[in-house]
Amino acid sequence: MIVCVSVVGHQNNPLYLQSFTEEDDALKLHHVVHCSLDVIDERVNNPKKTGSTLNETFLGLLYPTENYKVYGYLTNTKVKFILVTTDVDVRDADMRNFFRRFHSAYVDAVSNPFHVPGKKITSRSFAERVSTIVKSFGLGGAV
Amino acid sequence: MEDYADELRTPPVSLISLVGCPDLHQSILTYLHKQQPPINTIALPDFSAISLLQKTNKETLDSSVAVPPGILKRDWLSKHRTRVPVVVAALFASAALSGDPAQWLQVCTDLENLKLIVRGRNTKLVVVIVQSTVGDEVSEDRMIALRKRAEVDSKYLLKFVQDETSELNASLSRLGSTLAELANTYYKEEGRRIKVRIEKKNVNSIELIIRYCFKASIYLAVAVYAEFRRDWAEALRFYEEAYHTLREMIGVSTRLPPIQRLLEIKTIAEQFHFKVSTLLLHGGSRQFLVFAELLETSSATISNTTSPSVVSEKSLTEWESHPAYYYHFAAHYLKEKRRCLEFALSASGTSGVPLPNGTESGPDSVVPSVYVGQFSRLLEKGDSMQPITDAEFTSYAFEEGKRFQDSFEIIALLKKSIESYNVLKASRMASYCRNLMAREYFTIGDFTNAKQIFEDVVHQYRQEGWVTLLWEVLGYLRECARKLKLVIDFIEYSLEMAALPISSDTPSEMLDRNMEYCPAGPASPSQRQLIHKEVFQLVKGQVMVSSEEWSCGLQINADEPVHLEIDPISPLRGVFLASVAFHEQVVKPGVPTLLALSILSKLPIPIEIDHLEIQFNQSDCNFIVTKAHREQVDSDSDSQQDLRVETASFLSIGTSKWLRLTYSIRPENCGKLECIAVIAKIGPSFTIRCRAESPASMDDLPLWKYEDCLETLPTKDPALALSGQKVIQVEELQSRVDLTIGPSGPALVGESFLVPVTVTSKGHPVCSGELKINLVDPRGGGLVSPRELEPFSTESHHVQLLSILGPDDKESLTGPDNNIINIQQSFGLLSVPHLSIGQSWSCKLEIKWHRPKPVMLYVSLGYLPKANEASAQKFNVHRSLQIDGVTAVAISHHFMLPFRRDPLLLSKIRSSSPPEQSTSLPLNEKSILVVSAKNCTEVPLQLISMSLDVDADEVGQSCTVRPEGDFPSDPCVMVPGEEFKQVFSVIPEMISPTLGLGTVSLKWRRERGSSSDAVITRHTLPDIKVETPPIIVTLECPPHAILGDPFTYHIRIQNQTQVLQEIKYSLSDSQSFVCSGSHSDTIFVLPKSERILSYKVVPLVSGLQQLPRVAVTSIRYSAGLDSSPTATAIFVLPFHPHFRIKDEVARESAPAATEPPLSSPIQA
Repeated sequence: MIVCVSVVGHQNNPLYLQSFTEEDDALKLHHVVHCSLDVIDERVNNPKKTGSTLNETFLGLLYPTENYKVYGYLTNTKVKFILVTTDVDVRDADMRNFFRRFHSAYVDAVSNPFHVPGKKITSRSFAERVSTIVKSFGLGGAV
Repeated sequence: MEDYADELRTPPVSLISLVGCPDLHQSILTYLHKQQPPINTIALPDFSAISLLQKTNKETLDSSVAVPPGILKRDWLSKHRTRVPVVVAALFASAALSGDPAQWLQVCTDLENLKLIVRGRNTKLVVVIVQSTVGDEVSEDRMIALRKRAEVDSKYLLKFVQDETSELNASLSRLGSTLAELANTYYKEEGRRIKVRIEKKNVNSIELIIRYCFKASIYLAVAVYAEFRRDWAEALRFYEEAYHTLREMIGVSTRLPPIQRLLEIKTIAEQFHFKVSTLLLHGGSRQFLVFAELLETSSATISNTTSPSVVSEKSLTEWESHPAYYYHFAAHYLKEKRRCLEFALSASGTSGVPLPNGTESGPDSVVPSVYVGQFSRLLEKGDSMQPITDAEFTSYAFEEGKRFQDSFEIIALLKKSIESYNVLKASRMASYCRNLMAREYFTIGDFTNAKQIFEDVVHQYRQEGWVTLLWEVLGYLRECARKLKLVIDFIEYSLEMAALPISSDTPSEMLDRNMEYCPAGPASPSQRQLIHKEVFQLVKGQVMVSSEEWSCGLQINADEPVHLEIDPISPLRGVFLASVAFHEQVVKPGVPTLLALSILSKLPIPIEIDHLEIQFNQSDCNFIVTKAHREQVDSDSDSQQDLRVETASFLSIGTSKWLRLTYSIRPENCGKLECIAVIAKIGPSFTIRCRAESPASMDDLPLWKYEDCLETLPTKDPALALSGQKVIQVEELQSRVDLTIGPSGPALVGESFLVPVTVTSKGHPVCSGELKINLVDPRGGGLVSPRELEPFSTESHHVQLLSILGPDDKESLTGPDNNIINIQQSFGLLSVPHLSIGQSWSCKLEIKWHRPKPVMLYVSLGYLPKANEASAQKFNVHRSLQIDGVTAVAISHHFMLPFRRDPLLLSKIRSSSPPEQSTSLPLNEKSILVVSAKNCTEVPLQLISMSLDVDADEVGQSCTVRPEGDFPSDPCVMVPGEEFKQVFSVIPEMISPTLGLGTVSLKWRRERGSSSDAVITRHTLPDIKVETPPIIVTLECPPHAILGDPFTYHIRIQNQTQVLQEIKYSLSDSQSFVCSGSHSDTIFVLPKSERILSYKVVPLVSGLQQLPRVAVTSIRYSAGLDSSPTATAIFVLPFHPHFRIKDEVARESAPAATEPPLSSPIQA
């Protein structure tokens, strides 16, 4: 189950963070997302170590922590998408699919002429779309 | 790590036993110990001791009927290492074997006893016959008999030779390899046997649990045996198998009370896991190496990381190979454990759980039981154990848990984790760990440490705008400050929290369950408002609403006012942001200008300000803004040194709304006027001093800039909001005094050039006036040329300020009692007398140019408009003028020989090729010096005199120089460009290679320079060379001729030498004349005599004609004496001139017209 998705700006400031959990660990998820930025930094700064290709936006599993696994995605504009899940086994393809849909939702949201780039995303339709994507995650839903 | 027993940490070592022949034991023992792998030995001196090897009671592994009381006995592993040998080596001396029957019988008995013991455990047996020498053999029969008795294979009947070194070594190695082989065989067989037991098991077994217990313990045993054999792969496989069995067991086992059952399983799992980790370390995997290193240095809690790392079958992320990760986890799970303990304790009510059966002994009597992971009560009578109930166990566990200082452990782990994360430059992870650590300190009540660590963390979150995390940390910090009674810190943290951009409300139903939130509650607008209210109640000194919460004594005393300082990097900028912009960039002093003051606050509730004070760098501009209706503030602020008080209709700052105020400022002093700070006073004893910021260079509020909210400009005028500055330049006052520098025009080199300077008061009286004069080279170079030597000026300055003359031209102000303060070559400082309005004063600067050079003259007047006022504003008037210095007259000279007279100068002949520098003049001959002076200026000059100053000492006797003709007596005026010439005759009277002729001094002045002194311009004549001409050729002919009238023309050749001179001459015909006389010849001129060539010529053509040229050549000097064309020209009149009678006087007075022209001045 996806417990949290987040968009982090290129200055590592949170742009959007939504948790989908009944438990009261929202604050902890903030920490988890924030800490995962360290992993992304390391991945981006040492691309050789991780062997990721240059144009790969999907960063894969960032790190497992406590009860969660954290996945990352880095857009060309250095905006990071971070996903926190409690699923132990996640298929890579599912994850890629999720991020692809999430990315397009993000692109649509920031293409809104009333959105100021670099500011937090407060669009309600974006939030709805994200929760739809989250709900359909792992169901093999169509793109 | 130390918590684990040896047998868990180190690989097992096989154990054998030696019986008999004790004198050999030491050497065998040492040898086996050194083997690879080593073998441990139990040495029994004789066969009576073998009962030690006897099986005591039933073994765990064999108990297949009843429900086993536990999975693993506490000492099972160590038993196989230290007490139960796998091979027994029976050593018999050869003497005993081959000796008398009694001895043999004894051997047989010992063997029998040994076999009995050995058989119970399947222990292998080796019989060793100890011989002292090789030859000391036992008979073949005895050997066979022994082997049969011992029931061993012949290869396990060894001979051991003890006396010879080589043989001893061979025997030892033989024994060693046999023992190792047997040990291996034993472990292999045991393993196989147990495995078989597992497979055939459990169809008919009574309970499933037994099977699981068996499975677990058997897998363990198989693994251990494999480990003994150093078959790591198999050992690992079986340990993992055992581990998984344990997991399965959780669901089925009902053997013990449930809690203890789980605990047992967990403890054993922990040991298995430890084993697995250790084995993997031997496997050499890099990731696990790090993990194992971590294990080595960590404590027992680390085993909690079991599930994520072992279960995960995917490849590890890079993060999982960092020790920091595991430290972090260790701390996390320890914390989790403590949380559970606390929860359990709180659930169970009071801490002491009354034991249900009423035993008084309490948890103290609970001890670990025989089985790993089990506990039982130690009965007072004897050693017997009694199982305990779950309740008892729980109470025991609680007591144990309370004793354990989890927090310090957690802090220590986190500290390690932070260090490790810092090495990785994972600042956010480190911050998170710091955060956890600080929370731990907070939990145990160490607020000082907690506050310090939280302060480290808070910076990170502020920087990256993680508002929720920031809120949490600030909440803790605020609580720490409250606990430590740090009022200012408390206010700062509260204000920062209240001004955080938190807009979305957390659903309220989530708040109650929330245990993780910071003491300030969850981040929400309502909570912000709450905090805001609290802190403003505090600063206003009002009665607290929630007084019991505030009872810890935070309050502000009136005599200790609280003062907050907010600068552009302060996190409190969001609380109070002051933007100040002047409407103009430049203002004149005394002229009012507008100042836009805008204040923004992000606090959730509007704040009321009692009054604002605006501070400038010019403190007399400071002013106070108060509310319009509040009059009492004025009386309060008497202490504020009579500051200007402005009023505003309201002084309340709404949330995210600029409070825009505009006031007029009248700066009095020139220079920079900068608004420094805005001080807001709220309540009786609370002030916020906020550094003023220019809207043009104002940064966004760091946290709010990411918020999707409307941004407003500090001023209504967008231009001012974008470019407004908090600094204004106050211009200098308009001076009302005129300073004029008199008429310009080029200055002439050498004259004292007067520049009139006039100070005219046109509205300001001039008091303590001071005139500064500066001469500056406009091209940047200095006016000084110390190295350049001027022939007539030793002054080092090309241009010099000589003096300053008073208004009436005559009075020099340079005297000591005058008001000149200072005068230097290019700088002057002069005090100006007091001038009333309308008066003027002037002076003249006397400047002398030594070289032609343009100069910038700067004159500045500084004065005070009012006398006797030290603080008054000084006014400055600056003027400048460029003045060119030009050379007035250019003097040149040239020498001439007398007309139609050519002395032969030898130096001219010899050095014909290089141009002669010095002029040569003939000795005792009259030469003519023409000095010409040209007016180079644009003004007419008056010449006063021109003279040749001869150095009397040298030149006086050797040369006679006198002017030909007098200098005109009436003033001789030279218009620009005109040239004046003066002729001097020079008669050298002494032979000299360098004869100084002296200096030409020209006295002149400007024609209209009314009173200026005459200027002397000097021109030094070059040295001349005086020599004796050997031959002088003189041409003699009448001044004019008449057409057709014959006349005679002579060429006189004088030989001045003592030798005969051979002269060659030739005459070239001219068409204008008919000539009689010898045309060419060579003649001789006697010493000191002369010869005259005479020609009679008749002019044929009138006008200026060239006489027939006679070329005279001295053979001796091979030098021609050519007269110049002008010298041989003659004017031929067409007829005799007729003069009228009345011109008779003129004819008489001018006889020179008919004379030879020698004595007449030469016209150019």
